[in-house]
Amino acid sequence: MQEHVQLNSKEVNDILLKDVLGMPKWWLPAVLFFLVVFLAGGAAFGYMLNKGVGVTGLNRPVMWGFFMVNFVFWIGISHAGIMISAILRLTQAEWRRPLTRAAEVLTVFSLTSALMAAPLVHVGRPWRAALWVFPYDFERGVWPNVRSAFVWDPSAVMTYLTASTLFVIIALLPDLAIIRDRTTGTAHKVYSLLCLGWRGTPRQWKLQAVAGILLSALVLPVFVSVHSIVSWDFAVQVGVEGWHSTIFAPYFIIGAIHSGVSAVATVMVLMVWLYKWQKILTPDHLDAIGRLLIIVATIWFFAFFLEWVFALYTLEDPELALRELQVFKHPWMALFIVFLITAYFFPVPMWMFKKVRRNMFWMFVTTISVNIGMWLERFLIIVLGLARRQAFTFDWGTYHPSMIEILMVIATFAWVMFGMLVFAKVFPLIPLFDIKEGMVGGPHKIKIGRKEIPASIHE
Amino acid sequence: MPSNGHNGHAAEAVVLTQAQVQEDLQEKHERSRGQTFRVAVGLFSVLLVLGIIGFILRVVDGVSDTAKWGYYAAAFAFVLSTAGAAPMVAIAPRIAKAHWPRPISRSAELFSIVGLFNLLVFIPLLWVLPPLEQGRRTLWFFGSVGEPVPNYSPHIWATLAMLALVVVGVLLVWMSALPDIAALRDRLPQGTRKQKMYAWLARGWKGTSAQWFMQKHRLGILGAFYFAMLIFLHFLISVDFLMTLVPGWIDALYPATHVANALQGGVASVMLTMVIMRQWGGYKNEIGLDQFWGLGKLLFALSLLWIWFFFSSFIIFWFGKKPNEVSVIELFIKGPYLPIFYAEFVLTFFFPLVFMIWNPIRKSIWGPTILSIAVLAGTFFGRIRMYVASYSVADQSALHAIETVPATVMPGIADVFIVLGVIGGSILTYLLASRIIPIMSIWEKKEMLMYEVHRPLHRIHVRILGKPD
Amino acid sequence: MAELKQTQQRQWGMVIDLDKCTGCQACVVACQSENNIPINEEAHYNQRRAIQWIRVERYWEGEFPDIKARFMPVLCQHCDNAPCEPVCPVYATYHNTEGLNVQVYNRCVGTRFCANNCPYHARFFNFWEPAWPNSLKNQLNPDVTVRSRGIMEKCTFCVQRIARVKRKAKNEGETVNDGDRALSPACVNACPTETLFFGDFKDPNSTVAKMKDKETHGGRGYHLLEEIGTDTNVVYLKKVDKHAEAKEEVHA
Repeated sequence: MQEHVQLNSKEVNDILLKDVLGMPKWWLPAVLFFLVVFLAGGAAFGYMLNKGVGVTGLNRPVMWGFFMVNFVFWIGISHAGIMISAILRLTQAEWRRPLTRAAEVLTVFSLTSALMAAPLVHVGRPWRAALWVFPYDFERGVWPNVRSAFVWDPSAVMTYLTASTLFVIIALLPDLAIIRDRTTGTAHKVYSLLCLGWRGTPRQWKLQAVAGILLSALVLPVFVSVHSIVSWDFAVQVGVEGWHSTIFAPYFIIGAIHSGVSAVATVMVLMVWLYKWQKILTPDHLDAIGRLLIIVATIWFFAFFLEWVFALYTLEDPELALRELQVFKHPWMALFIVFLITAYFFPVPMWMFKKVRRNMFWMFVTTISVNIGMWLERFLIIVLGLARRQAFTFDWGTYHPSMIEILMVIATFAWVMFGMLVFAKVFPLIPLFDIKEGMVGGPHKIKIGRKEIPASIHE
Repeated sequence: MPSNGHNGHAAEAVVLTQAQVQEDLQEKHERSRGQTFRVAVGLFSVLLVLGIIGFILRVVDGVSDTAKWGYYAAAFAFVLSTAGAAPMVAIAPRIAKAHWPRPISRSAELFSIVGLFNLLVFIPLLWVLPPLEQGRRTLWFFGSVGEPVPNYSPHIWATLAMLALVVVGVLLVWMSALPDIAALRDRLPQGTRKQKMYAWLARGWKGTSAQWFMQKHRLGILGAFYFAMLIFLHFLISVDFLMTLVPGWIDALYPATHVANALQGGVASVMLTMVIMRQWGGYKNEIGLDQFWGLGKLLFALSLLWIWFFFSSFIIFWFGKKPNEVSVIELFIKGPYLPIFYAEFVLTFFFPLVFMIWNPIRKSIWGPTILSIAVLAGTFFGRIRMYVASYSVADQSALHAIETVPATVMPGIADVFIVLGVIGGSILTYLLASRIIPIMSIWEKKEMLMYEVHRPLHRIHVRILGKPD
Repeated sequence: MAELKQTQQRQWGMVIDLDKCTGCQACVVACQSENNIPINEEAHYNQRRAIQWIRVERYWEGEFPDIKARFMPVLCQHCDNAPCEPVCPVYATYHNTEGLNVQVYNRCVGTRFCANNCPYHARFFNFWEPAWPNSLKNQLNPDVTVRSRGIMEKCTFCVQRIARVKRKAKNEGETVNDGDRALSPACVNACPTETLFFGDFKDPNSTVAKMKDKETHGGRGYHLLEEIGTDTNVVYLKKVDKHAEAKEEVHA
């Protein structure tokens, strides 16, 4: 395999390993900054641990607030990795190649972020959170309640985390071997250990490819289960009318893909800006993501539409009250409008233009906009679902996040940025071997008349 | 033409030129269809006549009792879902710029002609469903807040959507067939009636660059529009002609499930068409493993999609245990239609899962064929389960839940006739349409040759396929 | 649930006659002191974090000169088909054999899932560590746990009183008598107008069973939010509105 790509692969290695073997100037300040922000969130958590959940803005109708919103948001982002890697690998979309690793790493870090956001900090007694997931009281016959969506939830998320970490590791092996061969001293030893004796023999390549495809196929059901279950945290409840809707699982999944793929596009633009990888991440890739996003966003909007139609179709007072709250009551009305514009009506018409899809800056703006919108979407569903005027006037109220909650939410964003940057320093953020694999077989152009079009190999 | 991908080394087989492909396929279209075709036409005509008899029997019984029309509605919905969704097999890969469906895209599109027949089947339903003044709920709920909506709004909107789908579908297949029709026009002797018909149908197609450019865009736009209309129609039908009949059945996902089920049926029916074309239509060389493999994967994915949708709805109802939800589960699943539910579950999900998960089965002729028969039967049972059950609910004006779950409605002789007639009539329409429009897209097959290059790589030969932007 | 109902010994429940309720809040105060509920200060109400296992909902009916106050005591309905039970990941809330929906404080991790899923909003979360003024330190009921912060709590139908009576009955060979004041929850005992009745629905001769039987079949009885299908163990008796009846008669 090596001899065909000798020339190109040298360039690829040089470009992609430049910042792993060296260190860009901005790297250390940036990482320190995100670390400090993350630690500030940690301090806020410590304060909450000491004082109690009372330091948040939660109250009686709104028992779940920013933490839960953030949890759903990060689980949503985490759907990017598998969407890009597994689905596009199985459907053999060529353009996925340089994006897979970044998407998978984003998955891993956003999952850890989600785990921090919900099970750990949002419960009343976090020190017992471990005892919630693991069966602990066998001798007294006390088991976790498998009927509860909160037991399905950690199971699915942990499985997903394990699977996506494996995904990253398996795809890393060949690249680690390259770094091993280019480093000396301690680093050499560490990378030797990490690459598990990778030599690039045909057998190893075969096993690696099989593992990749097998994981892709096996991780897909997990991928679907994760956000379905997260949605069932809400949808199985009869006590909150606005959540009790059958569309929730598909609605959350497609929303997650919407925000996740957007996040991958954002990360991709950042990679080009920070690491100057424009030779490898070309506008073609952005274009493909943009077209994928138009379809995803529109399906998401259809699910959103169905959710609304059937909420109104019930003609039940609490449902109507919730919708009224979302659309007509200040300040939610403003948030609702911002949500609609940022999540759909700004980015999608923009993506219709090829010029926008192939422009780094505009893709950055539109995809960031999507994620602002999707965060607001979760907020409007979760918080307003609880704050609606339900049957008993005793529990009519609203919610204001406290400083502590805001800090901890910001900290999760800092954590993901921090994690991605550290990862990019230690490992290549673009899979070298995958890029080279895509180059095997010579030119991928077919001449038709005067035009040349890209092509892919089929056996 | 070499048999695609039969042995993986297509490059070693003979590659035909464009002219040869044209000649070959045109010849196949014009060739007399022979005994089998005539027998089939005769058989399905008989079924259609039976259907008409069944329909007359039903009408004699009267239209006021909706319970008696459940099987009729189920047959309508079955044809709507299979024939309506089948063109998506041509449209979706065209948008994704995949090459493998080229030989079968026309046979998928031709299903939209069946919509003309289904439109006829749809009309009596308008009389069967009670208007809103009898207290039935409707999707058009906004009137009920202030002033009432017009009594026939559900009927009007569904009719418009139905018409639009049929018009767009016929346009789609017509536009897509333009180059082939033009070729037939040029081939037939001048002045014959047939030639005149093709000349009219070809709308002056000459194959200029501008016309080809238009063609590509037209197909893209019509395809997208067809998909949008399909979703919209399924949404209207599944709500106003189904869900509103069952008080307390509030399932926001159901329209999507209805579509997923339809797509399953569509893929399965295209698969069966493929087998028939291969076996009896003389297209053995054109339709190969590539097509079965591609559609097989699609069928498998759609089965998983269906079960996910089904389960997402089910768990909300099952966990919620509100009285209205309990009664809906009782009506559709646990109660009078349990055997049919089992049949549907096994045929549309369990069989595809346990068999299609194996690549050797997916990549064969017989595997996907048998499974698509199973899936088609499963979707048929599914439609019967939902429609017959819903139409048998007596008290449609209750707000919260049905009071008593109605007993199983068994099909009478008229129902059997109707079901046979509707299905037979649809197939007959398809067969007749395939006489006029070539069932294999000649121009798409020819275009394929331009995107294909065969090259050696090391010791093997590879096929390099161009993917236009 | 049906199978459970057949095997269980008792079915504790309550009947609340809204016609008698004056909204005096005696039940609220009695519950507060019986069950070691921290003092609800104004700030707690403003934050909407006050804990009231039983609360008196007040509704206004009509326009100003012709206006009426309506009162409705709401407490945990001890549903047979309780939405809060299946959603708890740690089994901190479950149904016991006497038809009570009980909360195990030690198991609770405070996910607040149950609170969201309670259609009656009868579950309360301890946002802070509970605190009492020094003068009230010795007033705490020794039979009731003081709940720490971070866990859920709710009406128990004064399970400690039921347990005490049962224990005593067992030790002294007596039976548990219907209408025993020692058995009734604090709110029932405190009610000056006899709005609240407590007893065993399983015992056909108990006051509550008789009332339920009489009133839910064509009488004034109903359950809260019946359309959710929670199958509650608290029966409400509708207010008898003499004025409305009189008006209707005039119209007729």
